[in-house]
Amino acid sequence: MPQPLKILLVDDEIVRAAMVEEALGQEGHEVVCRLQSPASLNEMVARHAPDVVIIDMESPDRDTLDSMSLLNRENPRPVVFFADQHQPDTMQAALEAGVSAYVVDGLVPSRVKAILEVAIARFASFQSMRTELDKARGQLADRKRIERAKGLLMKHQDCDEEQAYRMLRKLAMDRGQRIGEVAANVIDILERLEKGL
Amino acid sequence: MTASRTAGLERLTLGFIPLLDAALPIIAREGGFFAAEGLDVALSRENAWSTLRDKLAAGLLDGAHMLAPLPLAMSLGISGAACETLAPLVLGRNGNTLVLSSRWSEGMPLPETAIPPGDPDPAAGARDFARRLRHRGGPPPCLAIVHPFSCQHYQLREWLALGGIDADHEVKRVVLPPSRMAEALEEGRIDGFCVGEPWGSLAQRRGGGRIVASGAQLWPDHPEKVLGVTASWAERHPATLAALIRGLTGAADWLGASPEHARQARDWLALPPYLDRAASHLETLAPDTGPARQRLGGDLRPSPAAMAPMAAHLDHALRARGGRLAPARLSACYSPVHFDAATHQERA
Repeated sequence: MPQPLKILLVDDEIVRAAMVEEALGQEGHEVVCRLQSPASLNEMVARHAPDVVIIDMESPDRDTLDSMSLLNRENPRPVVFFADQHQPDTMQAALEAGVSAYVVDGLVPSRVKAILEVAIARFASFQSMRTELDKARGQLADRKRIERAKGLLMKHQDCDEEQAYRMLRKLAMDRGQRIGEVAANVIDILERLEKGL
Repeated sequence: MTASRTAGLERLTLGFIPLLDAALPIIAREGGFFAAEGLDVALSRENAWSTLRDKLAAGLLDGAHMLAPLPLAMSLGISGAACETLAPLVLGRNGNTLVLSSRWSEGMPLPETAIPPGDPDPAAGARDFARRLRHRGGPPPCLAIVHPFSCQHYQLREWLALGGIDADHEVKRVVLPPSRMAEALEEGRIDGFCVGEPWGSLAQRRGGGRIVASGAQLWPDHPEKVLGVTASWAERHPATLAALIRGLTGAADWLGASPEHARQARDWLALPPYLDRAASHLETLAPDTGPARQRLGGDLRPSPAAMAPMAAHLDHALRARGGRLAPARLSACYSPVHFDAATHQERA
């Protein structure tokens, strides 16, 4: 069993950070700190002396981490882990999942790569979870908009529900837009009409 | 993401960091200057320069608003993975300010109160800072920058040198995101910082510190941000690059044409996808009147000679590692060849 590694995790998505921590724990590693909006990443790195730092690519703190090796006079001086020297696919997967890894001197690349891959997998599954959720929310919002647009059309065009829906669908087809988008436009126009603008 | 053609317009994505000198791509998109060149440009707001850099190198962005030294640092392989990168257009000049906490700046000669306005000798402030620093003793003051390969970093070093201060040993340098600088200053975690607008003026408005010098005093009209594209992208998409350049020069000409346009540009910058609340204190986009003397628009043509102050610092950093900056690398990176080709086509 190889020595467990100390990992500092910088991620303000609480659920995702918990997923990564759990997965790394199962691999026998120790997540020393799960940092959300760190007041001072410099101090945290100095205090915890991690072997590896895993950071959300979208974190504004990434520049702080990225420059420590250039500006710090004393250790630790974490450097970005370039999987491309070893495996270009890992680098691309990391970019697409939105995660990157920084390494403190002297770690065997294969061990870092294994850790990065665990993080990539968790970041990617969180991403697809969120995409599904956003889609579901969007569909719900679309349904509400379509109902509202139908109601307004029925009132203004003096038609029934079926005719109102067909009108929306035709508008959507003519413009090459989603029916939810067309509904939003119709609501906007008819509500302004009602307010006499 | 490589440029692809849909519905007659070529779709591409440019990365930017929310700063006032991201104005030209925003104006070019909102004002239809990209569309007039047949481009449908999405602007992707990025939170860190290193992430913007890595996305550009990996092809996830077609181009980006960049710190002027960054394309050269990428080409040299000293920031991120080595990636030949070009700076075919200057997006803005000046705009950096050096802010010191109230405690350090009290009684210092300040750029905006001096007569003639904007031009006190920056060395006076630096010598004053040096006196206080040596008198005070204790741990070295902590000064923040946004990225090591930035004009802010080099201008801070140069200002310190004017006071006879060794930037490597007498002060501690850290990197912080610009949006967190003012807060860190007020909480006493840093003693000062050098940053691009609007963050210097905003910090001064909040009252935690004062602008004691500007990049414009040290390096007047030095290119501060550039358009960055990888050399391989430029080679694969020469017509798209030319269209991008013309879209941006179109935006710059429009911005300079009337004060009404500057107010309209301010409204676009204050939209949520761009600078949002960081631009809400501005009445118009005429920043060259403030102590930062920022210039957006005007001459967008790059030139290796104009980069000499920046290049000297980069060369110094390389020499510390036993290397040196080859003039050919500088010339290749900031060559005006793409700019000239794009703008001559327009006239023809």
